[in-house]
Amino acid sequence: MLTASLEALNTTCPRLTRSLATFTSKDATKKPQINGQDTDLTTALSEAAKILEQARRPLFSGLATDIAGARALYDLAAHSGAILDHLHGDVLAASTLALQDRGAFFTTLSEIRSRADLIVVIACEPSRCYPRFYERVLNPQTDIVFVGCDTDPAASTNAKAILPNTDPFDILALWSALTEGRNANALGDAKTAQQLEALLERIHTAHYTAFVYEPGTLPAPHAALAIEAINRIVKTINRTTRAGTLALTGDDGALSVNQTVTWLSGFPLRTRVAYGVPLEHDSHRYRTDDLLRRKEIDALLWISSFGPEPLPSSLPDDVPTIILGHPATTHAARNASTVFIPVATPGIDSNGHLFRVDASVVVPLVAARDTALPTVAAIASELVRARRPQ
Amino acid sequence: MSLTRIRGAAVYDPANGIDGVRRDIIIRDGRIVDHAQSESIPPERDFDASGMIVMAGGIDLHSHIGGGKTNLSRLLLPEDHRNDARAVPDKPGEGRYMRLPSCGTCAPGTLATGYRYAEMGYTAAFEPAMVASNARHTHLEMGDTPIIDHGAYVMMGNDELFLQMLAAKEDFERMRDYVGWTIDANKALGVKVVNPGGISAFKFNQRSLDLDEAHVHYGIAPRDVLRTLTRALSELRVPHPLHVHASNLGVPGNVQSTLATMDASDGLPIHLTHIQFHSYGTEGPLKFSSGARAIAEAVNARPNVTIDVGQIIFGQTVSASGDTMMQFRNAPLARPRKWILGDIECDGGCGVVPFRYREQSFVNALQWIIGLEIFLLVDDPWRVSMTTDHPNGGPFTSYPHLIRLLMDKPFRDEQLDKLNADAKAASVLSEITRELSLYEIAIITRAGPARLLGLADRGHLGAGAAADIAVYREDADRERMFTSPAFVFKDGELIARDGTLLQTPAGGIHFVTPDYDRAIEQRVRDYTDANLAGRFENIAIGDDEMCTVCNGGKLLPVACERR
Repeated sequence: MLTASLEALNTTCPRLTRSLATFTSKDATKKPQINGQDTDLTTALSEAAKILEQARRPLFSGLATDIAGARALYDLAAHSGAILDHLHGDVLAASTLALQDRGAFFTTLSEIRSRADLIVVIACEPSRCYPRFYERVLNPQTDIVFVGCDTDPAASTNAKAILPNTDPFDILALWSALTEGRNANALGDAKTAQQLEALLERIHTAHYTAFVYEPGTLPAPHAALAIEAINRIVKTINRTTRAGTLALTGDDGALSVNQTVTWLSGFPLRTRVAYGVPLEHDSHRYRTDDLLRRKEIDALLWISSFGPEPLPSSLPDDVPTIILGHPATTHAARNASTVFIPVATPGIDSNGHLFRVDASVVVPLVAARDTALPTVAAIASELVRARRPQ
Repeated sequence: MSLTRIRGAAVYDPANGIDGVRRDIIIRDGRIVDHAQSESIPPERDFDASGMIVMAGGIDLHSHIGGGKTNLSRLLLPEDHRNDARAVPDKPGEGRYMRLPSCGTCAPGTLATGYRYAEMGYTAAFEPAMVASNARHTHLEMGDTPIIDHGAYVMMGNDELFLQMLAAKEDFERMRDYVGWTIDANKALGVKVVNPGGISAFKFNQRSLDLDEAHVHYGIAPRDVLRTLTRALSELRVPHPLHVHASNLGVPGNVQSTLATMDASDGLPIHLTHIQFHSYGTEGPLKFSSGARAIAEAVNARPNVTIDVGQIIFGQTVSASGDTMMQFRNAPLARPRKWILGDIECDGGCGVVPFRYREQSFVNALQWIIGLEIFLLVDDPWRVSMTTDHPNGGPFTSYPHLIRLLMDKPFRDEQLDKLNADAKAASVLSEITRELSLYEIAIITRAGPARLLGLADRGHLGAGAAADIAVYREDADRERMFTSPAFVFKDGELIARDGTLLQTPAGGIHFVTPDYDRAIEQRVRDYTDANLAGRFENIAIGDDEMCTVCNGGKLLPVACERR
C-alpha cells in the first residue's frame, strides 16, 4: 500500500504539523476491532448494526466529520432515533443560542483582508488555535486592538492592548452603554469606560472594523450572553459606520455538520431525529456530557475522523459504543460491547467538503494519500442499509 | 421499457397552444411521446384521469431554497419549526421511511422543501440569489432538496472585481468574459443583480443608491451595472435575461426608479423580480400608494421586460435577501425582534429579517393589493411569473391560495374585505374583474418560467418533453385543487398520489456553460491572490465534484442559444 509521508507545503502552521504527525504508514492496514480484538469490516459492521438495533435512545456525538459524513449520519440518525451533538457542542450551543435569541452581524475573511483598517480582538489570542489567522486577514494598513486580553505575540507591530485584566462581561456592559450614547464619566467604572470610549471614537473614524472573538474562550457557562452583547454592540455601531463580527470557531467539522443538519432538518445540532415523531431541538437538554452522566442514553456512536479523540470521560462503562475514528484512536477496555472502525480523514484519505471558519465558504478537500480506509459516509450508509427493512 | 399513459384528462399545455383539450399523454423512458406505437401499456402504468386536468409540472423561477441566507433563516427561527403543523405528516398511505424528518413553515429544511413542492405538483425551483463565494453551499443544499430539479442565478454587479473593471472602463469584452467565467465556475443558470452596486456601496457606508446616483467609492451608477450585465448576457447567449432585484426595494416612491430600470437595458431582455416590492407610490395621507397600474402599463408597452410578482401572503415569514443596504433599513421592523446581517467575501451580502404581514396594517394590506393588481393588470401572462419570492413575501406553500385569489373574483373580494379599510379604499383591486383561466395559470406557473429560463424540454407536454407532469382533480375550490394533485410524475415516474409521496429521487441541476475567452482567468487569479482569503484554484466547481455536491442528481446543461 502506498502511503508516502505527508508534509505541509508552503506553511509552518503548527496545528497542521501536529495533526499530520498523527498519520503514519500503518494507518492503511489498521483493522476494525470488537472489544479490542482485530476483526474484519463485515463483522464489525454487523456488531455495530446490532448495537444500534438494540438501542432505544442512542446518541451520535463527536461528529467530527465532513459534509458527506453529516448527510449520511442524518439518515442513520432518523433510522435509529438518535440525538445529535458535537465534540465542540458547548461552544456551538453558545453561538446557536445567541443567534436564535437576537441574530448577528457578521463579516468574512476576505472582507476583513480587503476592507478592514481596524481589527478589534475581544478576549482571545487568535493564533493559539488559528495560527494562520493573521496571514489570512491582515493587510499592512490594519491596526489591531486587543480588548480584555494581552496582545497576541503573533500579531503585527500595529497591535496594542487595552483593559487586559478586565472581565469581558464588565467590558461588554460598559461598551453597550457607550455605543448607545451614554457618557463615559457618568458610568460606574469611569476609568474603564474612558478607554472604551476612546476605542469607540477610533472605530468611528475607521472605514471598516472587524470584531474578532472566539466563542470557546469566552467565559462559560454564559458565553452566549457575551456573544449576544458583541453582536448587539456591532449592530449599534452600524447605524453610523461599518463593522462586522467574525467568530473563530467551528473546528473539527462542528460548523460543517451544524450547517448540514440545519439545512436538512430545519434545526441545528442538539436535536433528536426520528421517523414519525417531531424533531426535538434543545441546546441544554441534549448536551453529551449530561446525557451520559444522567444515563439517558443506551448506545453511543462516537465519530472522530480528524484526530484520535478519546471517548467522553462521562461515558458509563456499560453503554455499548461504536467508534468511527481516526486510525490512531485507542480506548481502554470496557465492559460493554465496543466496536472500533478506523475511517478516512477528509483531506488526507478522502475527498470532502468543509465550511471555512467564517461559515460562508465551503472548501473542497482532496485526498493527500491513497489508503483504503472507508469514509464516515460509507460506514453510515452501510449501517442504514442494515437497519432498513428490505 | 414499458409505457405509461395518462388517460382522458383535459390538457392545458400553453407552450403547444393546447387549451383544455381532452387527450391521452403517453410516456416512454421518462419522456413524453406522440404515439404508443402499438406497444402495450401495463395496467399499473395506465392512469385513468377522466374528468381531471393535466399540466406540466410547476416551475418556480424565484424561490430562496438554498444557500447561506436560507440556512441562517432556519437557524434564526426555531420557533417557526416548532410551530410546524406538518412536521410529522399524517399520511397513512406513505411508508414509514418515505420522508426523512424535516420541518419549518417559512424556512423549512431542504428535505421538507422538496417533499412539499413535489406533493403540490411542482417539479422544479430555482434559487435566485447565489453568492458566488457561497456557490458550493448553495448547490449542496439544493442537492439535498429531493425530487425537484433546481438551479441558481449567481449574483453579480456587487462583486468588487466587476465594479473595479467597470470603474476602470475596461473593455466590455473582458467584462463579458468575466461574467461568462463566473457563471461557468459556479454552475449557474443565470445572473442576478441585487440592488445594483448597492450591496457594495453599503460596505463603504453608503445608505442609499438610486439608479443614476454614483457609488461612493467607484463612482459608477447602478444603470452602468445593468447596461453592462444585460449586454454581457445577451452576447453570451444565456437564455435567462438578467434577473434584476431593482434599487430602492420597499421604499415609497420606488416606482420611478423601477420604471427607469426597465429602460436601463437599452431594449435588451431584462427580468424584474419580485416587482411588487418595487411598485410603491407616495400618494395619500400616509405617503404610500400603489404604483401597480404604472408598472403594468410599462410592462405592457415593453416586450423586452418580464417580471415575477413577489406576492405577499399574510402571516409570519422571514425575509432573506442579498440586499444588505435595504435589509439594514428594514431591521427595526423585524418581528420577532431579531435579525442577521453580513458582508460576504467582497462579492455579496445577506440580510435576514423575520417579518409578520398583517391584514390590518395599511402598508401590508396595500402590498398584498399591489401584488394582485400587477398579476391582473399585465396583459401578457407569458411575461409574468407567479412567485411569492419564497419566503420573503410568504412561503411557497401559499401558491394554491394565490392561484385561487387570481382565479376567483368573489373569493378575492371576500379576502379584500378583511383588510385594512383605508388600504382597500385606496385601491382599484375591487374594480378589476379579471379572473385568470386554467390556461393562464398554466402559463404563469410552468410554461412561462420554462421559456424564460431556456428549458426547452420542461414546462410543456409536447413530444420530447421530460415527463414532469401534474394531474389535478377538477374542483371549483382552486386552492384545494392545486394543493394535492391526484398524480405527480417526475421524469415519467409516479412520485406522488393525492399528496402522498411514493418515491423521493434526487432532483437534477440545470445550468449553462456559455462560451467565453478563458484568458480572463488570469485576471480573476491576480485579483483573488491580491485581495481574497481563499485560493483561485478552489473557486470553480468541476462536473465530477458537482455530482457529489448534488447528491447524484442529473446534470442538466441548458443550451446557450441566441434569443
